Amino acid sequence: MNFIRLIVLSLFIFTASHADTIYNLIKIPNLEIYEIQTVNKLRYLYAKKPFTVGLEKNIKCYNSEKKILDEKYKIIKKNLDKYERSFLKKINLKYIVLCEDLSISNINTAGIPDNEMKTLILDIKFNEKYFERVIHHEVFHIINDSFKDIFNQTTWSKFNLNNFEYAECSTCTDKLGLDTYGNTKGFFSEYSQSTASEDMAEVFSHLMIGISLKNQDSVLENKINFIRKNLLKIDPNFIL
Amino acid sequence: MIKKIKASKSEKIILVFLLFLAIFSFGSFYLIKNKCLFIKDYDPSKLIFENPKNIAILSVPCGNVIIELYPQISPNAVKRFKKLVKSKAYDNSAFHRVIKDTLVQAGDLEFGKKGNLNYAKIGTGKSGLGTINSEIDTPFDFKAGSVGLARSKNYNTEDSQFFIILRDEPLYETEYTPIGRVVYNIEALKKIKYLNKSQYVLRPDFINSLRMLVN
Repeated sequence: MNFIRLIVLSLFIFTASHADTIYNLIKIPNLEIYEIQTVNKLRYLYAKKPFTVGLEKNIKCYNSEKKILDEKYKIIKKNLDKYERSFLKKINLKYIVLCEDLSISNINTAGIPDNEMKTLILDIKFNEKYFERVIHHEVFHIINDSFKDIFNQTTWSKFNLNNFEYAECSTCTDKLGLDTYGNTKGFFSEYSQSTASEDMAEVFSHLMIGISLKNQDSVLENKINFIRKNLLKIDPNFIL
Repeated sequence: MIKKIKASKSEKIILVFLLFLAIFSFGSFYLIKNKCLFIKDYDPSKLIFENPKNIAILSVPCGNVIIELYPQISPNAVKRFKKLVKSKAYDNSAFHRVIKDTLVQAGDLEFGKKGNLNYAKIGTGKSGLGTINSEIDTPFDFKAGSVGLARSKNYNTEDSQFFIILRDEPLYETEYTPIGRVVYNIEALKKIKYLNKSQYVLRPDFINSLRMLVN
């Protein structure tokens, strides 16, 4: 019977479209599973081929060599393992997409967070020097997007000196330096001065990698307390 | 006197070929028409189950699919599913979303019932019982045959729609609420009508009935 079935089926070529589970879940094409057996249930995916996403296809990222992918995965996982599953669930982060040369509207970027799709796209080759810090910086954007009321930008801006103003957006300024200041004056880095959201992300990322400054000013002190206090509102067990 | 003409060898070959072709064509037509031909049906009354109270019988065009429900993993979801099964709500509801060899989805009780299909809204219908919370924290291996509750983009929006996967889907763990697993006759689900270019099916197959083995 099976032989007859085989003959009959072989006469017809079925061309059903293949189901792409990853695409159905996070709407990003050309991805494959890198690792999903993780303690905090983060799912690491990688670009098998270049992909473009976004309403106007303005987000682009490219596939990496396996060797680089393997190297960077270890670093990324080590850093993201600092987040408990319960915390990740609250901030809506589940999928980490690994690719390189990530850009949005042709502007290179370290990461693109999308808390609605529970996804963080990470450029695994972005800024080798501050790579680990950048990972946490991008995680903060997920946190911020999920809890906009808690991390209120107006409240945050009031911590700064009266004569200071952030730029309209993070790409409308040339303050892009990521070096940590020796003399902080309210900011961890030049990039902190771009927008309130980037400033918060810089504070968070510095705290996550354990940078402690000897001469911490009072403005920065307030900012650090603000981040710490509000993270505990999200998860009382969050240790920073 | 009529001379008897003996068929040549090539004529005999052609005759045999034509006969073979006729049999093959007829056979193929019969086999193609009957999509359930090689699907074994299961009589649940002849099967032995460890916990018959958690066995559901899904009757589809190619026979009975036997599903074991897991209330210990997703108590609220299984409770909702059983409630709908016992009220016969799933009878005549369409397998409106089918991806070949991947999954079948049914249970839109508002826009997916036989005689009242709404192709514009199918997949968005509700049961009228309200939504329930996702139960995704218990580890569950979404291997082929697993049954889960469908939801909208957001968690905690599960209602009546359910899906059965036809291949392993490890990424579904912590994504969807599992309610059980097919224990007999996943083959019958692979014969549910699908379209090549769309996940949503025009003139779909329907659930004949869905019953608990023990009421």
